[in-house]
Amino acid sequence: MSDNSVNILDIKNIEVMYDNVILALHDVSLKVPKGKVVALLGANGAGKSTTLKAVSTMLASERGKVTKGSIDYDGNSIEKQNPSQMVGLGMVQVLEGRRCFGHLTVEENIISGAYSRKLSKGDIDQELEKIYTYFLRLKERRKSQAAFTSGGEQQMIAVARAMMAKPKMLLLDEPTMGLAPQLVAEIFNIVKELNQKEGVSILLAEQNTNIALKNSDYGYIIETGKVMLEGTAESLLNNDKVKELYLGISKKGRKNFRDVLKEESLNKKIN
Amino acid sequence: MANELLFFMEVLVGGLLAGTMYSLVALGFVLIFKASATFNFSQGAMVFFSVLAFCGFMQDFNIPFVLAFILAAFLMVVVGLCTERLVLRPLMNASEDTVLMATIGLGYVLEGLAQAAWGVEVRRLDLGIGDFPVPWIADNLKLFISALDITAGLVAAIMIIGLFLLFKYTKIGLGLRAVADDAGAASSIGIPLKHIMLLVWSAAGVVALVAGMMWGARAGVQFALVDLALKALPVLIIGGFSSIPGAIIGGLIIGAVEKILEVYIGPFFGGAIEGWAPYVLAIFFLLYRPEGLFGEKIIRRV
Repeated sequence: MSDNSVNILDIKNIEVMYDNVILALHDVSLKVPKGKVVALLGANGAGKSTTLKAVSTMLASERGKVTKGSIDYDGNSIEKQNPSQMVGLGMVQVLEGRRCFGHLTVEENIISGAYSRKLSKGDIDQELEKIYTYFLRLKERRKSQAAFTSGGEQQMIAVARAMMAKPKMLLLDEPTMGLAPQLVAEIFNIVKELNQKEGVSILLAEQNTNIALKNSDYGYIIETGKVMLEGTAESLLNNDKVKELYLGISKKGRKNFRDVLKEESLNKKIN
Repeated sequence: MANELLFFMEVLVGGLLAGTMYSLVALGFVLIFKASATFNFSQGAMVFFSVLAFCGFMQDFNIPFVLAFILAAFLMVVVGLCTERLVLRPLMNASEDTVLMATIGLGYVLEGLAQAAWGVEVRRLDLGIGDFPVPWIADNLKLFISALDITAGLVAAIMIIGLFLLFKYTKIGLGLRAVADDAGAASSIGIPLKHIMLLVWSAAGVVALVAGMMWGARAGVQFALVDLALKALPVLIIGGFSSIPGAIIGGLIIGAVEKILEVYIGPFFGGAIEGWAPYVLAIFFLLYRPEGLFGEKIIRRV
């Protein structure tokens, strides 16, 4: 995974500050191979959203800045880009909390995703039909006002809207937040399908470690702005520490990787 | 009795039509409020600036009416462009309050520029439409209704239909509605905020020009037009800050209510209640229906 042509996204040792004082990321390095699903795992405030926003260049609108390191997308640095340019390059972020356009209908929401593309009315209808094959539920509700749809439907709208931009890469920020288990599975099935049939590479930020890893190829675990552990999804699922700290199969009172590292270094000293 | 009813009708219709003049001013506010959630304090100055420029083109350079209108409209697009570049873009990530303050500053700049370029004296604007009763209506319906009021009503109707079509059926209209709902989400899917801002400020500029022409024809093109912004405030509170139909209906209500109150209740207060009655009405709305009649309700799922 070192060749640039294999990785659609390559983040090297980035540091992110908000308002020039608040250090949100210390040292995050991460790679997304073309056509793969990569999970970015961690608790609230670990830096998952910040990492995604650094990639989509949406940090600027929150007065955040990448102060060290580099981010390469599709072989080029994203340093000078803005969000709408990134969408043009095929990178679309689905923001945390769905963020549908509440007063627009479901269909208008989805069509708005094609804003950056120059499509005729006929092309848009064709694209819509294709999108609806993945989101059957939305087709039934196409004329409803988005604000009155359920949480799961809103998440689907947000993903469908992003797909209308014809992305090469999707950044999904906690797509299952606050959803019932059945819907979580439905969302992941759609994500998996989009990945396989449309060839979209996916970087997924999640707190739901178990289901995220089961649907990913590779995973990174971050804590307080630092990558603590990485590996193939399978190896992470079978990792004792991950099981203990993130999958709720706990033995002792340890809470995070920092505690684990502290304990290990203590043990070394004693030995 | 029949005469009384006729008189009431005359007051009502006259008020409604005069109200559309307020609606025209309020429309400009709504456009900008939709896109940036900011009350544009410079809207009054834009009215003054645009119509003074229009008069200047016509009277100082002898440019014909239609061409002068096109030039003035183009000038307002340029003003919109400069506003986006010099004021809004640097403040892109600033709070709404900051943008609000910036519009106050922008208002002063526009007022100053207008007077520096075209002078400070009151100008007469003759649109070829008299501000006196239309004889045909006076003869046949026994109602005395000003031709200018009727024109203002027609112009307002055309503008609302045009804006409605623009927002509902065009791509940039969809973009505008998306930005109005959630600017962050809109930019995440590649809707360029600066294009939307440019569109909205240009449209508000042209609306200001039309409103200015109507008011200029009635009251003369003068600095007092700036204070029209204050008249639009109760219209917006009643109609809702984010609704185009609301601006129209709000204007009609204010126009009708102020005339009726003036005629029937005014004498008890020694007259001239026209000036403050709309604000009293606005206060009631603020107390009992703060989003206005047509304002977008904050939709909250439970």
